[in-house]
Amino acid sequence: MIEYIKEGRIKIDREKFAGKLVTVHDPCNYGRKSEKAFKKAYYDELRYVVDQICDTWVDTYSTRENNFCCGAGGGAWAMPYVNERLYYGRKKAEQIKATGAEIVCAPCHNCRDQIMKGLTKEYDLGIETMYIWEMLADSLIIEPWSPEEVAKAEAEAAEQWERLGVVLEDMEEEDEEE
Amino acid sequence: MSQEPLKLGKRESKLRVDPKWADVCLTCGTCAGGCPVTGVDGFDPRKAVRMAALGLDDELINSRWPWVCTLCGRCERACPMGVEIVAMTRRARGLRERDKVPGPIHKGTMMNLQRGNNLGIPKDDFVQLLAEVGHEEMDECCPGFYVPIDKVGARVITTINSKEPFGEPEDMRFWWKIYYAAKESWTISSTNWEGVNWGLFSGDDESMKEQVGRVVENARRLKAEILLLPE
Repeated sequence: MIEYIKEGRIKIDREKFAGKLVTVHDPCNYGRKSEKAFKKAYYDELRYVVDQICDTWVDTYSTRENNFCCGAGGGAWAMPYVNERLYYGRKKAEQIKATGAEIVCAPCHNCRDQIMKGLTKEYDLGIETMYIWEMLADSLIIEPWSPEEVAKAEAEAAEQWERLGVVLEDMEEEDEEE
Repeated sequence: MSQEPLKLGKRESKLRVDPKWADVCLTCGTCAGGCPVTGVDGFDPRKAVRMAALGLDDELINSRWPWVCTLCGRCERACPMGVEIVAMTRRARGLRERDKVPGPIHKGTMMNLQRGNNLGIPKDDFVQLLAEVGHEEMDECCPGFYVPIDKVGARVITTINSKEPFGEPEDMRFWWKIYYAAKESWTISSTNWEGVNWGLFSGDDESMKEQVGRVVENARRLKAEILLLPE
């Protein structure tokens, strides 16, 4: 994402999130866990992308290497200890609430599910949870490809679906019309 | 009732915790202070370390604690003595009998080894879904878009979190829109595309490595330069 932004390969409409206060969540796996395993944590990358999309965003406290886990990490989202998971997440919920943000950006599937489907209801957060790639996708100014590019892609797609034995519905309709 | 004395030593310890840890750990409790589930079931990271140092391996392995803990690493980060609490806790998970691993994470791992993803989604269904969502849902914003599958020489290969094709297929479009806008050359493998590695969480090193190996093998087979795991 950073590469696309820095190289000018995508354009962002900053109006999309204008006037909305956003906060960010540091997933343990991109932070502490990554630092431990790979000697590199990813905190600034998330903030760079959010900064490109939003005018107003705030960090939680505490954050980065001292951030609280969403409560569903390590496979806990899938485990049967639901009450423990929600109890665990109270710290994260308090942090998010204290920011007063309307949107929390969660750059991890697991954290997003816990905050969106677990903590928001349990702690009455009244907040929208979005993936970082969802925020970026929503604020893209998408320029349709040129007719040549579309034709090339359609030819590739047709060849691919034939190779894989996939028949799409409106392709069927077209065939029937013929 | 007489009990055999516990033998302490790095070799005796299933958790590979040397009794010296009892001296290394200062029992300062900084780890416990920073842990959101301190107190649950009467456990906390400091107690878990102490249990391991005292040879109470089975008590720790059979407790819920290693699974209620999310392995977030906040305890370890705060530890002034560098005690490797996360690795120890993960080892405790790995030593749990496999049929007693809570929830679906072990079953999902086995499913993955058999069928290439945690939820056992068949290849044909997966490919059909990518074709349909890519076709119907992207038409309006992105004329010409399709999901390139097994495209040799694509620059980027991406994994997929199986919950998306299973329950939230429309969420796959976020990345697709970004690829479209950036005119990226990208692809998804039709097999072994799972991005979630539950072996990491169940403490199953062998399965974890196998799964990582498959993802890397996909990238090599399709000659991709960049492997993207949007997890």
